[in-house]
Amino acid sequence: MENAIIAVAAAFSIGVTALATSMAQRAIGSAGVGALAEKPELVGSIIILVAIPETLVILGFAVAAIMLIG
Amino acid sequence: MIVEMSRVEIIGLKKYLDKAISTLHRFGKMQIDDIREVPDLMIQPFSPTEKMRTEREEMDLRIANISGLIETFSKIIKGKGKPEIVAGDISSYQITENVVDITSQIQYLNNRKKTLQDELITFSKYMEMLKIITPFIPEDTKNSGNATIRALIHSSQTFTMTLLANQLKLLTNGKFEMITARVGDETNAVIGIFPLELVSQVEGFMKNERVTELILPEEYAYLSTEEALDHIEDRVRLDHEELDQIDMRLQRMAEEWLPKLQFWQLICRDRIDELETFLKSGETDYTFTIFGWIPDEDYLSLEELITSNFRENITVRKIDIPAEMRGRIPVKTKNASLVEPFEHFVKMRATPNYSDIDPSTLVSVFMPIFFGMMAGDVGYGIVMLLLAIIGGKRAKEGLLSDILKFLKFGAIWTIFFGVLFGEYFGSLGELIGIPPLWISRSASTSIFPLLIMTVSVGVGHILFGLLIGAWNAFINKSKSHFLERIGMFVGVVGLLFLVGGMTSALPGGFRLAGWVTLAVGLVLLSVSMGTSGIFLGPIEFVGLLGSILSYLRIAALGLASVFLAEVANELGGTIPSLLLGLLIAVLIHTLNIAMGILSPTIQSLRLQYVEFFQRFFQGGQSPFLPFKKRVN
Repeated sequence: MENAIIAVAAAFSIGVTALATSMAQRAIGSAGVGALAEKPELVGSIIILVAIPETLVILGFAVAAIMLIG
Repeated sequence: MIVEMSRVEIIGLKKYLDKAISTLHRFGKMQIDDIREVPDLMIQPFSPTEKMRTEREEMDLRIANISGLIETFSKIIKGKGKPEIVAGDISSYQITENVVDITSQIQYLNNRKKTLQDELITFSKYMEMLKIITPFIPEDTKNSGNATIRALIHSSQTFTMTLLANQLKLLTNGKFEMITARVGDETNAVIGIFPLELVSQVEGFMKNERVTELILPEEYAYLSTEEALDHIEDRVRLDHEELDQIDMRLQRMAEEWLPKLQFWQLICRDRIDELETFLKSGETDYTFTIFGWIPDEDYLSLEELITSNFRENITVRKIDIPAEMRGRIPVKTKNASLVEPFEHFVKMRATPNYSDIDPSTLVSVFMPIFFGMMAGDVGYGIVMLLLAIIGGKRAKEGLLSDILKFLKFGAIWTIFFGVLFGEYFGSLGELIGIPPLWISRSASTSIFPLLIMTVSVGVGHILFGLLIGAWNAFINKSKSHFLERIGMFVGVVGLLFLVGGMTSALPGGFRLAGWVTLAVGLVLLSVSMGTSGIFLGPIEFVGLLGSILSYLRIAALGLASVFLAEVANELGGTIPSLLLGLLIAVLIHTLNIAMGILSPTIQSLRLQYVEFFQRFFQGGQSPFLPFKKRVN
């Protein structure tokens, strides 16, 4: 039972952070593509902006991994 | 590596300015500074003559015309092609003559094409209606001795038409015959046949009664319906043939002139660059002055060039770069050919500052390694290497070429880490008895060492970035940046001591040393930020820890790739049919390889841009743009 709860918690940890990342990336990505159409030289900055929210899911992964390992 | 630049001043007699500008243009290694933008300079900018202004306007117009023709021809041959560089001079007059001639030919052909297309649209309507009417015309009336009126009317108008027919019979002494036939749900075809000499009478009557008849073009108006249809069909065929001939002629013209037009466009742009350079120079009554930037290694060749061409009439000398102009020095980077694709990745972020360290070489080392750590599979690495080699032969330049060059290095590291992890298309290596040299990523016991490895990589990468940043700050004499980076460095080292001491990886004494070092680091970091540092310093440090944890993506992506490969093998193995199982496994592996190229490329680039560059790289200075000819 305890293992099952840990597994569900780990799944939530990844799932919720992935959802948050995707919501942030959706907004940043669409704005970024619009900006790129006007100024292609911004590609480097746009990659950074799109990539920043991924830290959320990575932290979710870290928490999930700690739960599963611990 | 960032190339050392020199600032040069060229002063000479004004009558040699024209020749000096063409000489510098051919030399092609110097960037001309706009004298109007140089601060605190007491030199009057060059005033262009009326002739130069007119020439500039003509050039702009010529380029616009050439661009229009290039666009037209590019659409015809569906491609851009390459400029045809022709040896020997071609004068502006010849270019204009040719452009005018080509434009008029194109206009004539396009107008003719439009006329034919309009004609075809009209004829297709006639043909459609005549084909509907023809079957209802009696055989004995199909000769040219009779005239015909034709109309398609709504079925509700049929009764009115019968009344009209009776009146026409009276008008023509019974020589008018009308046939009505149903050709659609609500449409009737009405055909009136009568002797040719009564045409004007009948047409006048029809007009008065407001019946809309089908009026054929004049040349077919007095032919019988069948003859008119035959003639129109012939005309349509001839129109199609002429359209084909026009298209072929346009195609031939596009193939012949597109490369030449592209070449002339380059010549015109070169001339515009020269005219612009006049405006960038300064003048007195008898002299001119040009300021510019040149890579230090090319200065001697510039000096020799000026001396040999102009002797004492023009002089060139290096001048000091004032501190306020250091931010305006154009930046030229020079790296080994293996590093060049990574140089472009750096410039996608920003051109490095002149006083920065060019991170291209560092990116060329770290980016493929991180890629390999994520993908880490011998089989995938070999496939990626083959793709990069085959694709690299086709894509010679541009972003795709850079990505393929990077992929070659990334694939080699993928094979290397694949051997360490014992992955050969997932678990196939284990099945044939090839053990991992280090750990198997698919084993549950391997997750912890994998996480430790990636965090260690992150710590190492970020500490390295902080050291470079501290060095940059030292060179630029920026005390706050120096303290900030050293504070972060010391804080992370302190944290490592603390964790080592607490987990017994290091002797117990390191626990206290860790606390002290961490505190020193935080104090330095806070001090660098001024009065608000007491709050911002710790927040900044937590952000730094987030950056280190961000390297966990290396493990996360790696695990995703491993388990997808496992799924491919397991799923393929459960299918009873060997062929179908193989097909499913290949499909999933292909998907995994495609994702394995895309995601690790973006993620490893992100680790450079966000986590690594943030520690030392500012960028944003202007790139070096030498004044050089597009066509020599």
